[in-house]
Amino acid sequence: MAYSLCLNYSLSSLSTNRQNRYLSIAAFTNPPLLGRKLRVAVIGGGPAGSSAAEALSAGGIETFLLERSPSSAKPCGGAIPLCMLDEFSIPLHLIDRHVTRMKIISPSNLSVDFGSKTLQPDESIPMLRREVLDNFLRCRAQSHGAHLIPALVTHLEVPASSNSPYVVHHTTNNSRKTLAVDVVIGADGANSKVAKSIRAGNYACAIAFQERIRLPDEKMEYYQDLAEMYVGGDVSPDFYGWVFPKCDHVAVGTGTVCAKQDIKVYQRGIRERVKDKIKGGVVIKVEAHPIPEHPRPIRVRGRVALVGDAAGYVTKCSGEGIYFAAKSGRMCGEAIVKASQGGDCMVNECDLMRGYLREWDNKYLSTFRFLDLLQNVFYGSNAAREALVEMCGDEYVQRMTFDSYLYKRLAHNNGWEDVKMLINTIGSLMRCKIVGKEMEALKF
Amino acid sequence: MSISMALFSSPPPSPTARSPYPSLKPHFTHKFSLSPQPNNNNNNKKHFLFPISTPKASSDNGAGISGASATVDEARAEVKVSEAVKESSVGPNGAVAVVDGEPIAVTKFVDSKWVDGTWDLNQFEKDGKTDWDSVIDAEVRRRKWLEENPETSSNYDPVVFDTSIIPWWAWVRRFHLPEAELLNGRAAMIGFFMAYFVDSLTGIGLVDQMGNFFCKTLLFVAVVGVLIIRKNEDIENLKKILEETSFYDKQWQAAWQDETSNSTKK
Repeated sequence: MAYSLCLNYSLSSLSTNRQNRYLSIAAFTNPPLLGRKLRVAVIGGGPAGSSAAEALSAGGIETFLLERSPSSAKPCGGAIPLCMLDEFSIPLHLIDRHVTRMKIISPSNLSVDFGSKTLQPDESIPMLRREVLDNFLRCRAQSHGAHLIPALVTHLEVPASSNSPYVVHHTTNNSRKTLAVDVVIGADGANSKVAKSIRAGNYACAIAFQERIRLPDEKMEYYQDLAEMYVGGDVSPDFYGWVFPKCDHVAVGTGTVCAKQDIKVYQRGIRERVKDKIKGGVVIKVEAHPIPEHPRPIRVRGRVALVGDAAGYVTKCSGEGIYFAAKSGRMCGEAIVKASQGGDCMVNECDLMRGYLREWDNKYLSTFRFLDLLQNVFYGSNAAREALVEMCGDEYVQRMTFDSYLYKRLAHNNGWEDVKMLINTIGSLMRCKIVGKEMEALKF
Repeated sequence: MSISMALFSSPPPSPTARSPYPSLKPHFTHKFSLSPQPNNNNNNKKHFLFPISTPKASSDNGAGISGASATVDEARAEVKVSEAVKESSVGPNGAVAVVDGEPIAVTKFVDSKWVDGTWDLNQFEKDGKTDWDSVIDAEVRRRKWLEENPETSSNYDPVVFDTSIIPWWAWVRRFHLPEAELLNGRAAMIGFFMAYFVDSLTGIGLVDQMGNFFCKTLLFVAVVGVLIIRKNEDIENLKKILEETSFYDKQWQAAWQDETSNSTKK
């Protein structure tokens, strides 16, 4: 423990050196652009790209939003936190379903109801269709003045000098075009071309695999406002399986990082676990997509910034990415607007690092770190998963979880309850570990 | 007449493990009478033989069959047949029930003491008090069974048992105390020999050693060492844990490192 504290300290002192250098460089002002506004290309029109484009164009910058398939339905859970509705002014008619109950089910089928007692009557987890949400955000960006270009970006030419523009090569209707811009925001997802062009480095990805199943009405009734999470070695070795209700069907899926080649086995495992509840259902779609596990080594290089999935802003433990994608896009856009003073000056790398990356890390690094800790502790073995489900039965834990998920805040208002929760956590972990060890002994 | 049995699985001595007896059709379920068998005290070998009240009972391969019970009301048929070797220390119930069920292969954990999704503590009484050790054993067996044969979750008979029902002192008495005895013994042995060793080298007796700061530090290190490092593998595990805890943080901080190559890459 002391060793990791020392490591943290030395890492942060290294980073402050770099920050100090950038802060001192900030004393130089950027050269003003004569006769034109700053041009920014946002590559990728999902939540991250659309929010960035909206922030940029609302700030007066000439924005180009490039999206390769504006009407595709992305494979995604589709759950967003409540704070996103407020912060991004999302109209309520886009919401398909309000999930007010969650069930988490342990390997030994101990099931705990999450939310029936601890959610306030006006609180819920909104579920939307990604194509509906993405379309809305894109149209809003357009209404603020962003130019939407439906095109596939083939590659990004990085200029040799700091005054030349970035050239975005893209194809529309089989014709190749180029676009010269000053700043690029890469919001093109887990297989980001922008990241490749700036050699941002790779990251480990988890694979999320799900089947959309249309259920008969009486079975769908059960999932009216209920989402289920299944943990267990048969469902996933390091993640969870889920049943999420969507507009008129359910999505049954699972994910894993370390055992991607066995994903079909785990999918069968989750199907087995919910067999009775989805009996009579018809699979209407099968989809899979990669989920980044951690940020890329380089998130800003030159005048290119990565946001959203391209940067790797997906939390561990819950796999939440939509809110962080949109928020990072917005923060990056706002940073550029501020640094360029409404589009009148050029920006440089330090502006992006200071205004966007440092702000982002300050705000969300502890959240991400905490969820990583939870994943390491609770998703490692069946015994730990049992302990997790036991802990979830506690009302204080449920309230804290909802607060931190729905509003992205950690409301530590009751120190005594925190201590009790910690003691209970340790107790549960120890008991379940003992049972686990006895189970091991039973084998022989 | 055919029998369907639900069995606990475990590495069996015979090759017919985990495969349904081909001649069995899941039409009936019988409740078997159990009788406790003498335990050989070796914890590692747990054998359990049940006399079965039907002619089809094939104990030829030494299979033990767990108490499978289904009442007439529940039209569930258990099928999964596998070798079972299991230990139990109580054996009640002699009722035999016959169930007419549909031939669907459904695996479910059933035990006479598992009632309504939790262990019926009344059935674990010994001398008028609940025998928590056997509750723990029963839960271990149940979880082992479920790990090998994951069960469909159901809305109608939810599981409500969790380990906090068992009181803390039952856990302490069974698991903590033996370990504590072991560690205290080790610490005492190390302490004695260290004291002797230091005394023989420096001539300082035990009482005077305790007055010295360096000796007190050594004592502290010895106690902490005994607590943390119990086996040789623990050292490796500790190193791995330390690395893991800082790994995620390193990935986040990576964006702030390595700026020398940046300035040339505009």
